[in-house]
Amino acid sequence: MGFHTWGGRGHDSECRLTINPDGSVVVALGSQDLGTGTRTILAMVAGETFVLPVDAIKINIGQAPDYPPSGASGGSTTVGGVSSATRRAAQDALDQLFAKVAPALGAEAAQLEAVGGKVQVKGNPTKSLTWKQATAKLGVTAVNTTGKNPGAGKLIDSGVGGVQMADVTVDIETGIVKMNKFVAVQDCGLVINEKTAESQVFGAMIMGVCYSLMEERIMDEYLGRPLNSNMEFYKLAGIGDIGEFVVHMWKDPEQDGRGVIGLGEPPVISPAAAIGNAVANAIGARVPRVPFTPDRVLAALEKKGGLTS
Amino acid sequence: MKAFEYASPTTKEQAVSLLGNQWGETEILAGGTDLLSLMKEYLSTPKRVVNVKEIKEFQGIRYSPGAGLRLGALVTLEELMDHAAVKKEYPALAQAAEGVRSQQIRNSGTVGGDLCQRPRCWYFRNGFGYFPKGEGGEDLVINGENQYHAILGNSGPAYFVNPSSLAPALIALNAKIRLFGAQGWREVEAEQFFVTPKSEGEREYVLKPREILGEILVPPAKGIKSATYEVRQKEALDWPLAAASVALKINGTGVKEARLVLGHVAPVPWRCQEAETVLAGKSGEESIAEAAQVALKGAKPLSKNGYKVQLARVALKRAILQAAQGGA
Repeated sequence: MGFHTWGGRGHDSECRLTINPDGSVVVALGSQDLGTGTRTILAMVAGETFVLPVDAIKINIGQAPDYPPSGASGGSTTVGGVSSATRRAAQDALDQLFAKVAPALGAEAAQLEAVGGKVQVKGNPTKSLTWKQATAKLGVTAVNTTGKNPGAGKLIDSGVGGVQMADVTVDIETGIVKMNKFVAVQDCGLVINEKTAESQVFGAMIMGVCYSLMEERIMDEYLGRPLNSNMEFYKLAGIGDIGEFVVHMWKDPEQDGRGVIGLGEPPVISPAAAIGNAVANAIGARVPRVPFTPDRVLAALEKKGGLTS
Repeated sequence: MKAFEYASPTTKEQAVSLLGNQWGETEILAGGTDLLSLMKEYLSTPKRVVNVKEIKEFQGIRYSPGAGLRLGALVTLEELMDHAAVKKEYPALAQAAEGVRSQQIRNSGTVGGDLCQRPRCWYFRNGFGYFPKGEGGEDLVINGENQYHAILGNSGPAYFVNPSSLAPALIALNAKIRLFGAQGWREVEAEQFFVTPKSEGEREYVLKPREILGEILVPPAKGIKSATYEVRQKEALDWPLAAASVALKINGTGVKEARLVLGHVAPVPWRCQEAETVLAGKSGEESIAEAAQVALKGAKPLSKNGYKVQLARVALKRAILQAAQGGA
């Protein structure tokens, strides 16, 4: 078993959001998507605020200085920064839209709500406009808002924790460690998208198995150059090497209430501890260095008193 | 990759006439799984590449209980592994092919290419040749990262291990390798095919620059049980840390005759003749452990590969058990 904690508080971030009179919605942020799903969660946050489908939101990221600044993606700080900035900008934009539309519905702005592609008087579907009819009331002036990450509070927080459990088989004659099952339980506050969140954890577990059992840069001390800088010699796990993975995202109202917290790095912290503890449990000796390669496992067994004891 | 001339002859005679007199001038292309990486890394810079895949005579598997097995050099590892008679009669060979854990490499890699692939020593693959030396003449393998290097036959100057997956199995099964050159065919015992180079200009086999490995003959395996066991860290594509192929003639409960060959432990596939005598005429697991001890008795590990002695013993022991329990 292994445990980890991490901060993950969102970095400074600014989002510029536009609702055009034709009904289109554009989110602009000088952030980036490392493949972790930044675009996806931005569309979800804005879409949920306006109660519009995600494909109705255009996401523009990556072009500083054209887009307002967001922090670098590091330290698992992106999701908290960009989601809170976008939520803030979207909520302000919606309030401005309500103010423009309220007279047409014969109501106060505060009495309006967005419901499934419509703007209506709260609880009264007969007094409604479609999203396009509503945005047409803007005339020739788009709604432009800028939202900033407000810092720890209702939208974001910091501090996550996770527990990982590894079940391994060690061949005590060859020192080869095989993964049987690997289970991760992870909290990260409010989960915006469960699939991409789980994927972050799965990815961390795969990388965790790789660095616990195989990955190592081999440098020749005399030459001062790496000898295994290719996919033939640099060992990475294949599908048959990782065993069965289970991920439990810890989701409950208390976690939701904490707001959004970063998840990229935390689950890659404890695999070596979990796998190392499992190996030690299996053979009765500590393998003091990662990766737990056959030579090191056999050396640990021998130090303990040989294969038979 | 350096520019080269490409030839694709359809007969073996044409092919031989296209080959150069010196190693490296020309290279033979079959599956290309090794040659292309060597060329991309500028480790091989031939003036001409001779594709032999169009030579029909070098293709195909033939088997008959009386004559045994004939493998064309162009048979792919996948064809070998899937062949019913190979699986039934020569499991050591099918299991060795299965040890190449990449579907892509098994699909295009050939039997001839597996035998003729160049050393996988990471100094060799980084351009330091067979006998990597530092500026002051220091031996880089002896003083450096030798965890995957030879533990047997390593009195120098070569310390790499023979990388062939099939060679130990072919030697255990007493195969012959047929080479075609300007003077026609010649035949060598699989065991005699591999040599330890003494200078950089040599190769790791007796094949000459103007010869082509054309086919392999394996005698009938009647009454022989065979198996291959590889100690590999990964299930995915990975070089074995040690491997063993064995062929046993079993008489009642005892082993009448044994051929035991280790792979990935020496610059050539390593036949364990003394261990064969230990095993022959005995029965029971004790003789297996004894044979494994004897097989590795002469091992002289380098600074970082002592663990391979244990792995080679285990590979041999498990291959013997696997052959005795299953096999043909």
